[in-house]
This record gives sequence, structure tokens and C-alpha cells, in this order.
Amino acid sequence: MSLPKFTYLAPASLEEACGLLDQYQGKIRTKAGGTDLMVRLAQRALKPEYVMGIRNIPELEGISFDPDKGLRIGAMALLSEVADNPVVLERYPMLSRAAKATATVQIRNMGTVMGNICNASPSADNSPTLVAMNASIVAVSSAGERQIPIDEFFLGPGRNALEATEIAKEILVPVPLSRSGVSYQKISPRSKVDIAAVNVGAMVVVDEQGTCQQARICLGAVGPIPLRATSAEEFLLGKVITDEVAEKAGALAGSDASPISDVRASKEYRRLMVIILTKRALLEARHGTGI
Amino acid sequence: MSTNFSVVGKSLPRSDARIKAVGAARYCDDIIRPGMLFGKILRSPVAHAKILNIDVSKAKALPGVKSVITADDTLKIRFGNWRLVPESQDELPLATDKVRFIGDEVAAVAAIDKDIAEEALSLIKVDYEELPGAFSVDESMAEGAPVIHEANPNNISLQRKIDYGDLDQGFADSHLILDNEFTVHATSHAYMEPCSCVAEYDHDGRLTIWTSTQTPYFVQCLLAQTLGMRENDIRVIKPFVGGGFGGKMELRKWEFCAAFMARETGRPVKFTLTRSEELTTGRRRHPMKIRSKIGFSKDGIILAKEFTAYLDGGAYNSMGPTAAFLCGNFGGMLYRHPNYRYNGYHVYTNKPPAGAMRGFGAPQALFVAETQMNMAAQELGMDPLDIRLKNAMVTGDEIPGVAKISSCGFKESLLKVAEMTNWREKRKNLKKGQGIGIGCYSFISGGVFNWFNTRYNFTRAEVRAFDDGTVHLLTMASDIGQGCDTVLRQILAEELGLEVKDIRLTAADTAVTPQADLGTWGSRVTLMAGNAVRKAAAEIKEQLFKVVSMKFDLNVIHDMACKDGRIYAKNRPDRGIDFGEAVRLAQRANRGDPIIGYGSYTPRNKGLVTPAFSFGAQVAEVEVDLETGAIEVKEMNTAHDCGTPINPMSVEGQLEGSVHMGLGYALSEQFIMKGGKTLTSTFLDYKIPCAEDMPPGKSVHIDTYEPEGPFGAKEAGEGLVSPTAPAIADAVCHATGYRCMDLPITPEKVLKGLGKL
Repeated sequence: MSLPKFTYLAPASLEEACGLLDQYQGKIRTKAGGTDLMVRLAQRALKPEYVMGIRNIPELEGISFDPDKGLRIGAMALLSEVADNPVVLERYPMLSRAAKATATVQIRNMGTVMGNICNASPSADNSPTLVAMNASIVAVSSAGERQIPIDEFFLGPGRNALEATEIAKEILVPVPLSRSGVSYQKISPRSKVDIAAVNVGAMVVVDEQGTCQQARICLGAVGPIPLRATSAEEFLLGKVITDEVAEKAGALAGSDASPISDVRASKEYRRLMVIILTKRALLEARHGTGI
Repeated sequence: MSTNFSVVGKSLPRSDARIKAVGAARYCDDIIRPGMLFGKILRSPVAHAKILNIDVSKAKALPGVKSVITADDTLKIRFGNWRLVPESQDELPLATDKVRFIGDEVAAVAAIDKDIAEEALSLIKVDYEELPGAFSVDESMAEGAPVIHEANPNNISLQRKIDYGDLDQGFADSHLILDNEFTVHATSHAYMEPCSCVAEYDHDGRLTIWTSTQTPYFVQCLLAQTLGMRENDIRVIKPFVGGGFGGKMELRKWEFCAAFMARETGRPVKFTLTRSEELTTGRRRHPMKIRSKIGFSKDGIILAKEFTAYLDGGAYNSMGPTAAFLCGNFGGMLYRHPNYRYNGYHVYTNKPPAGAMRGFGAPQALFVAETQMNMAAQELGMDPLDIRLKNAMVTGDEIPGVAKISSCGFKESLLKVAEMTNWREKRKNLKKGQGIGIGCYSFISGGVFNWFNTRYNFTRAEVRAFDDGTVHLLTMASDIGQGCDTVLRQILAEELGLEVKDIRLTAADTAVTPQADLGTWGSRVTLMAGNAVRKAAAEIKEQLFKVVSMKFDLNVIHDMACKDGRIYAKNRPDRGIDFGEAVRLAQRANRGDPIIGYGSYTPRNKGLVTPAFSFGAQVAEVEVDLETGAIEVKEMNTAHDCGTPINPMSVEGQLEGSVHMGLGYALSEQFIMKGGKTLTSTFLDYKIPCAEDMPPGKSVHIDTYEPEGPFGAKEAGEGLVSPTAPAIADAVCHATGYRCMDLPITPEKVLKGLGKL
């Protein structure tokens, strides 16, 4: 189907972009890779008068690492760039795994990690690990900059915490703590190239005895937003993550989830997969702690 | 059998490979004509309803709209491919009094651009009185079910029977009887090119239509019928076609609408369907409920089989009658069935019509038949390979009253695939979660049946020879991506001793290629059109041999040859001349008449089904994640008998495509429906296997020679889609103990089967 008519704007700086958002508030959509947006425009699901492409804004580019501040993923960093970035591969391998699990080669070469997050799909591949790793999103408007913790970013399917005048500038991921481990698990049962029926991100931090000091578990595609498995997290604190403990935590995560049945999976299957994938994620994360 | 071929049997690159690879091939939607309008179809949003009123006045008034039509504008003539049985022709170009599925075509619009056409659709007001619907064969056949077509109060539009031997005696003598019910699901052809056509009406009153079709002749005839025109006033041209798989072998309603509105407006009209229209309203493979009862002797010999299929045909007959017959045929194939009875019922439901799709009833029948063979082997404590070897058909076997097997490499295929995969070892020694399984197939090389009731030969070829050493082949055989343009040129080049590059081809244009050809379906083209080409070549050779014989004053006993661009006496190769020179002399002798040969082919004395059957065996190796139920196919190996492969690389391509399609059928593809509504409307949710999902595997060709086929060739494109699902299902059972009896094999079913969900 052909695209509806709209005016395309291509600001060359963040300042200019913020000005446009102010000017056309409510009538404008921001486009990064466009792999979700253009499809929705063609389907007439969205009818903005203006589309603002942000490809020409230098401040939004790049992936960088600072030993104090952690990882910065610019809004225009492509999924394939994040997947193959040496620093990401070395220090945040699960972010690479999640980026690589997103869609197809062609889409990874167009789409961005930030776009995947802003789209706020409950099944997004990149959300669970970023939630598990306690990332935050930097939002900019002409009024200034603010940092939104990722736990507060998702409001519902397709809805995020950005104001109409704001542009998401970058994702910040803290430096991994010592003796921490992370995992991303995904089940797309029908094909190796598939949207997740269920996905799970987990981060655990243990002491020298292997006792769990901190746990963050995020469940995807089993609720309106990527969900924290809080009862599983609480259960893990103070325990050594044995196979048995991981299994019990998985079962608790299963009750934390609120899956529905749809064309991709039944709710019963989804709940069971939350249990299995949480267990697997915790065991892999434990292994990653090196203890 | 002579294997001394120059062109046949060579893996030559396809003649369309380059133009497709560089993106220069023009498909139907690429065609732009001056003043062309864009058409859109208004489809029913309800599954079953009376049409009370249609108001098109607002749509007609929209600027840019040039034509809006409903059934009342048309002649309301019923049509369908089964012209032999006129009462089976149950479709109208546009719905009149009733709609029968979500997507049923109600009205059409032609406008100066697509957006206006789309907007016009939203301005057409249709008042429906909704009726209760029936969405499965059980619902349709239940007492008091809503009647979908008045002519068939019980919703069964037809019944097909096959019956031979003494069934009761066979079961009475049986040591083991299995009696099981299976269900198989609908899948999409998912051809790369969505359907498209452009129709144009000229000042002389001739209608030309370019259309993405497998069957130009069907389109020509049925357009003439529904438009009230003469066949010869309609010209159908098939441009490059991006796949069909059975989904493009009927007159489609947008073809009618394009033609009708082109005639009405005097402007060309194009229709191109969206993928979502294709997935939610297009033809699909028949879902079926099949009951199979089979009896074996103590040592595993089949004694009797009763096979009963209920085809969920959707709202119209489409190609259901043929699928109903072939399902029964393949329920009793592969093995010797001394006593066999089949009953097939084609049942209407309020769903998009099922039609022909690669295998045409065989994938359903063979999933059931092959699964049951594996179950029987298990019950009898036999290796699934051995039970097959004991019962396998061989060359010369007869299916009473139906067919005689003129060539058969089935046993050889079984033994070969077992050897390739180390079957016996692996079947005993895999770890839990790992499995190896087998499935087999047979298929037709074109049909003997003439349900279209053609008045012409089944296929015909014309060959014109030129004194520059080239020839021109004209045929209505339709290359839809399967490669017949290349294969027919190879056959002709072989016959005339030329190279493929010396053969010019004009195909599938009803105004210039010889009447007629039934088109591309049922794996008929290589055998049938190939035979017609050989006969046409023989007429050319006859003319050229005469002049060479005369030139060298050859003794009448000399045999003549065409090879390496020369015509010569076989035993005196020096006595010969170049092909072009021979043509020049022959034309001189004819006092200018061109050198032309004609050939045609219609199967004779070949029973009721097909001139030749292909055979093969396939082994799947899988790994199942016992916690998630996810199935990974690790390897897929095949040994098959397609007679002489004319182009082995093309056969290989067909095999890989078949594995791909079979993989989707087995594991991932399905229409999720709610009532009559198809929810899987895009490729995001209608899940075709991707490149990464394709397992590695080898294929070995079993060398046989089919006497009825050109150079010994038979079917290679369609049958191979059948063994994949039963082989994977058997491997999953071997890995987990879960035996799938209702496709597709989803992770949820596996876990349920294991009691984990």
C-alpha cells in the first residue's frame, strides 16, 4: 500500500529537532530507522502531518563506553551495530544477543535499539535485558534533559514515558557490577527468525560465597509492558542460586506473569515458558558471575 | 535407454535466471499502460449473509472513480474449472444474493489511483442480513446446519469413491487392525508474487489480459463464458510469474472485473492483490478430517484399507473435486493394497475456499498413510523401513481399474535413503530428545482426467526451423518459476542436435501459441509438453532427413542423426550438412514453404489417473527441546525417482523448495481462525520457514527410465512436498514418544503430548 501524504523534516541538530517538536506538537512523529513506523503509516494506523527523520543529528550517533558512567547507545545506533560492537560484545554480551535476536538482517541494518524500546511492544527483544541491567533513557526537549529509569519508561503497549515535545537521545547502561551475570532467553517456537512468544532478561549479583545480593528479572510478551518478576527476585535474595532455587524462582516468575492467548501462543504455554526461560536465564546468569 | 545425451541431463542454468537475479524480469504488476486505472475489490466482512441492498452511488460520485460494478451489472454466469460437471460450477464473478465467506467478492471499483479506489470502497454501502455460519466439516454436516448453497442441503457438494477387492475378507484375515482419525490443516501457497492482472480492450473489440496465471487457456475460456464473448476475442498473456503452487489455476474474480471494467471504460485496468488479501481470502490447501482403517497380516503385509476423507472445502468447490479424488488415490498408493475402499466428501464451510495446492490431496493422504505405516511398524515390532520394503509397489504393479505402474524406483529409494542416513543404527541409538523418522511419497506426472472438458489435445507444440541454424518453439506451456521454458528448450535442442541458445521460445500467449495447453498443474508439463515438443521435432527431422538423404544419394537403409548442429547418416558422419543448410535445402524443395513441425500429446491407454508415477523416500532427523517443545530439524535426506532428470539442477531446486514448503506444513504454518475470520493476516504471524530454518540434507536420484516420458522423464516438482511432514512427525515421535495426528506439530502439542502442559 502507498504511504499517506506527510511532510518530511530532517533536522541537523538536536536543538532544531526540539524546536520542530514544539512547533508541530501532536502532529509529528519521530523516525529513527523507520522499520516499525513506516509500516504503521502504510497501514494508516498513524496519520501524522509531519515525520521527522533524525538520521542527520550527530549527537544521536554512536556507541561508547565510559568506565565510570557505563555504556551509551545513541538513538541512531543500529541494531546490527549494537549486535557487533566490540565493547558491547566484551562487556554487555547479552545486549548483543538481544539485538541480534531482533527481526532479520535487513531490519537490523535499518532499525535501532532505541526505536525498538520506544515502540514499547511488550515482546520487544531489547527490553528485557535493558530492564534487567537497570538502564535509563535520556530524553531531551527544548526545556532541557532528563533521565528516565527504564522501569518507568513503558506505560502500555505502544506507549512510553516520553512527552510529545521530547526526543529520546540515548540509552545509558550502568557498568556491570563485579560478580554479576546477565542472560537473555527467548522462545520463538516456530522459526529461528521470529517475534518472541516469550522472552526473559535476568541479572544477578552475588557475593563471594555465591549468595544472591541483587536480582532483576524482566519478562517479555506476558503482560502489557515488559514485566518485572518481583516475587521471583525477592525469593532469590540471600540464596545461592542452585538448580533447585532457579527452578523455584522460575515457578514464582510464572505467577508474576499475566499472559494472554493470541495467534502466537496460548497463555498456558506462555506461562510455562516463563517458568522454563526464567530458570534457564538464572542459571546462565549465575554462570556469568564467575562464582 | 541411451545416456549419450548432449543437452538433456545437464545442469544448465535456467534461461530466466539472469533476468530474475538482476531484477529486470517484468511481472504483471510492473506493467503500466497508458491511461491505466487501478482496481480494488470490495469483500464481504461477514462469513454468511444475505445481501439485502448495495448502494454504490457515493462511490460512483467520488472524483477519480471511473467504474463501480456489482453483480447486477454483469451477466451473472456461473463458472468453475470443472466444466465437465456444470452443476459443480458454483461461483459467480460477483456475489448476488448471498455472501458465503469473509472475503467473498461483492463489488469492484476502478479509479485513477489506488488510494481513490480504496476510498471508493469505503463509500459503498452494503446491507447484510447475517446468517449463522458453519466453520468446520463437523459443524457443516451436523443436523440443522446452515445451508451454504441451496443446491446442496446437506453441505456435501460431492462424493468420490474408489473401491476394489474384498474389504471385509481383508479385515477378517488381518492380525493387526489400526483405526485412527487424523486432522490436517490449511496452508497458504505463499507464492512470492501476489496475484495481479492488467486488462485492455482495443478498438477492434479484442480483450487482452496479462495475468499471473498457471493456466492461460482456462482464463481465456472462462472469461469468454462469463463475459459473453467468443474465446477468440480474448487474448491471455502470461508474463513472468512468481510462483503458483496451484493457487493460480482458475479464473479469478479480479480477472473478470479487470476485463469487464476495461471493456466498460475503454481504459486498461489493473488489479494487484495485497499480501493480506492473499492470506485472508485467497485459496489454500484443503484442511481434512481423515479416518483410516488398515489391516495387516502377522508379518506386516497390508491386507485391507478403508480410507475416508472429509475435505473442508470452504465456500466454493474450486479444485475440491480433484483434490477429493487424488486424496483417495494416494491413500492407496506406494504399497500394494489388495483390498481398498475410499470415500471422499467435499464439504462446504463458511471459510475462504480451498483449492489446488502442491500435492493436490496427496500431502494430506500421505501424512495419514505414512504416519499409520509408522504406527503399524511400532505395533508389530518392525523397523519402519522393513514394513515398507515388504509392501512397496514395483514396476508392473497394477491398481485395479485405475493405473499400471510403468516405472518404479521406490524400493531402491528406501534402501538408498537408509544407507545415506545410517538409518538402522540411528533408529536404535539416539539420545532422548533426538529422533529420526521416515516418510515416503508417490505422485502423478500430469492427469489423464479432463474435467476442464477441453476440446483440444492436452498440449501442443509448434517448431519452426530457420536456415540460420535456429529454431522457434511455440507452446502454451506456462513457466511459473518451475523452469519449463528451459526444460522444453533442452528437450528440443537434444532432439534437433542444437544448443539451448539456438532455440527461441514464445510461450503462453493464447493469440500466438498453439491451441491449447491445459497449463501448469499436477506436475504435467515436462512429460506432456515435453512429448509434444518431441513429436514436433520429429516432423522437422523427417523433412530435413529427406533432403540430406537426397543430397548424398543415401541408401534407404541408412539411419539418420541430428547432433552437434549437423544432420548426417549415422554410420557415415561425413555424409551430412549443417542444420541451417539442411533447412535451406528443405525450404528450396518446398518452393518457399517454411519448415514447420507440429506435435501434440494426450495420454492414451493410461488408465484413469496419470501416465506415470514418481516415487521417493525421505528421512528427517530432529532434536526436540523437551522443556519448551521446540523442534529443530537437523537434517533432511531424500532418495527419489523422477525418471530421467532433464535438468538435475532444476530438480534439485524443486526438492529444496519442497522441503521448505513441507517444513512449514509440518511445523510452523497455519491459519489461526476465529469463526470465519483469518487472524494470521501477515507473514509476521503466518509463519513460513526462513533461510535459517532450512536444514541441510542431500538428495540422491534413483536411476529409472519412464517409457511414457520424454527421454524417460517424469514428475519431480510436486510429490516431494508430501513426505516431509510424516517424516518429521515420525522423528518427533522417535525423539519424544509423542505421535502427532493433527498437523501442524507445534511445541504446545508436543508438551501436551508429553503431559507437561
